[in-house]
Amino acid sequence: MRTTSGVLLSRFAMEIATALVTASIGAVVCFGSLEFGTGWGDAGPQPGYFPFYVGLILIFASGVNLAMALVHHRERLEAFLTTEQAHRVTAFFGPMFLFVLVSSFLGVYVGMILYLFCVMVFQGHYPVHKALAVALSAAVANYFLFEVWFQVPLLKGPLEAMLGIH
Amino acid sequence: MDNFSNLLDGFSIAFSLFHLALMAVGVLLGILVGVLPGLGAPNGVSLLLPLTFTMDPVSAIILLTSMYWGALFGGSTTSILFNIPGEPSSVATTFDGYPMAQQGHATHALTLAFMSAGSGAMFGVVVITLLSGWVTEFALQFSSPEYFAVFLLTFASFIGMGSGSAWKAVVSMMLGFACATVGMDGISGNMRLTFGFSELVKGISFLVAVIGLFGLGELMQTMEEGLRFDGIHARIRIRDVFKAVASMPGHWLTLLRSAVIGCWMGITPGGPTAASFMSYGLAKRFSRNKDNFGKGEPAGVVAPETADHSAGTCAILPMLALGVPGSATAAVMMGGLMIWGLTPGPMLFIERPDFVWGTIASMYLGNVMAVVLVLATVPMFAAILRIPFSIIGPLIVVVCFIGAYTISGSRLDLWLALPFGVLGYVFKKLGYPIAPMVLAMVLGDKAEDAFRQSMMMSKGSLSIFWTNSPLVATIMVLAVLLLSWPLVSAVLKRFRKVA
Repeated sequence: MRTTSGVLLSRFAMEIATALVTASIGAVVCFGSLEFGTGWGDAGPQPGYFPFYVGLILIFASGVNLAMALVHHRERLEAFLTTEQAHRVTAFFGPMFLFVLVSSFLGVYVGMILYLFCVMVFQGHYPVHKALAVALSAAVANYFLFEVWFQVPLLKGPLEAMLGIH
Repeated sequence: MDNFSNLLDGFSIAFSLFHLALMAVGVLLGILVGVLPGLGAPNGVSLLLPLTFTMDPVSAIILLTSMYWGALFGGSTTSILFNIPGEPSSVATTFDGYPMAQQGHATHALTLAFMSAGSGAMFGVVVITLLSGWVTEFALQFSSPEYFAVFLLTFASFIGMGSGSAWKAVVSMMLGFACATVGMDGISGNMRLTFGFSELVKGISFLVAVIGLFGLGELMQTMEEGLRFDGIHARIRIRDVFKAVASMPGHWLTLLRSAVIGCWMGITPGGPTAASFMSYGLAKRFSRNKDNFGKGEPAGVVAPETADHSAGTCAILPMLALGVPGSATAAVMMGGLMIWGLTPGPMLFIERPDFVWGTIASMYLGNVMAVVLVLATVPMFAAILRIPFSIIGPLIVVVCFIGAYTISGSRLDLWLALPFGVLGYVFKKLGYPIAPMVLAMVLGDKAEDAFRQSMMMSKGSLSIFWTNSPLVATIMVLAVLLLSWPLVSAVLKRFRKVA
């Protein structure tokens, strides 16, 4: 077990938070299923029946997990994330999130080139020409693999429209 | 001898140049996803699935199953050479495989691993061949209540036989069910849980979930640990290969025991991971060189590899025969079957024998091909891991998101993969099992439909699950027993402590 030095987030806190999140998802599911009737009609259960009880079981099971966390994890000083780990995870997740954001507006190809290029230059400390070469060739390879060979179109943005690539 | 002639028919379907080429491509892609951290068999199959939508089902399943074999082999390669299990099911291989490689016996360890994996898979395929003929016999007894009972049994066994907390498995499974109900209801046509978002009408694809949960989630975990490869140079020496092959018969008892464990765990949804650990544990217990385990004992490589592959292979049988997948990868493949317009279940054996036996025959061919290909390409794939992770990591991310997008060409899927990735990361760290969630997403709709159709048959009476046939009653009793098992065992434990 790790000691608590440099702990950003304890396992206990995370267990509690996760149980609360899953319980609230359960509540949302219950609420959403009320729309179509959760009872028992002439021909068995109504459309909302199944999701409603799934939601209820979800809330109940989350409650048990919450209680378990209170019993088992409160005393133990286990870490979920240390500061160093948090740095590594954000360094990975941040660019990935931006990649999705850029891709959903400018298309997957532009997103991919920017993402690969930036990660290689800023995190991998590669020279610009090398990063550019890798990023561009990845986009070209994907273009041929998906659009030409398998004929599966990927998400495209304004740049492709300008260049007349469909 | 009916099975035998069916199998020959299967070979005549599977044995064509096109199919052999597909197998080779599938195996190579599989080794690639198996070797790369973050991409595993369930994820690899999900990524490839959208490309098979236009293929003939037999060709499509050959491509996907071959990829599965390749991924299993790739996972063992990195376990032995880098001490990094490419798949959860090859964790047990690192215990003795990596020490063997450190002592300079990399070729020996790899060959042993591949040969025992191949034997395990062969054993599994033979078992499938023998059991398949028998499946058709009770196919016609199956109607909605029986289907629901079988689904319930599967869900129950994931909760009852899981190694971690049963309540966490319940949460994971219910989340899966909740996701499965999103979208149009197959029976009433209502739009459920869409909260007014028109993109959600088609539902949440389990493929996006798999890509997020297994792919992105695992990558985040890899990054958090600060990736460092302590690779051992892989040069395959032909002489060592033959030496290792020659030593195989000496391991016959371990092979047989592990293959049997694997088959059992594959058919009942225990899964390859549990099978490999169990088989390693038993091999250690019964070995004369107990003390050498963990320090480079060849039997410590043979046991988990054999069980892993025989379980992986056997997981295909319940998927085809009952529509009940024995592993996360099998669940993804079953989703594929439904997309190709096939209904998994006993009727498949009657309606599409060409598909079933073509698949089974291709499993023989695919595994032989996988052993040969993996031996030939190990140095090449090991070299991939020497590419710095700041290049490979983002490339894997790009592949995952492209995979998510190609499922249905929807922008929303790009965004959905992200929260599933976070969920996968958190769940893995907190010990929530992920397989039940995937299983519930694939089977949720079918289980609910089967339940509601049974209710229509019985006019709303639950007694149909006990009285419809002896078969349904038996399965229901088993399911209830399995469901209550965690409770029973907890009570027993407390009782023993008191006494």
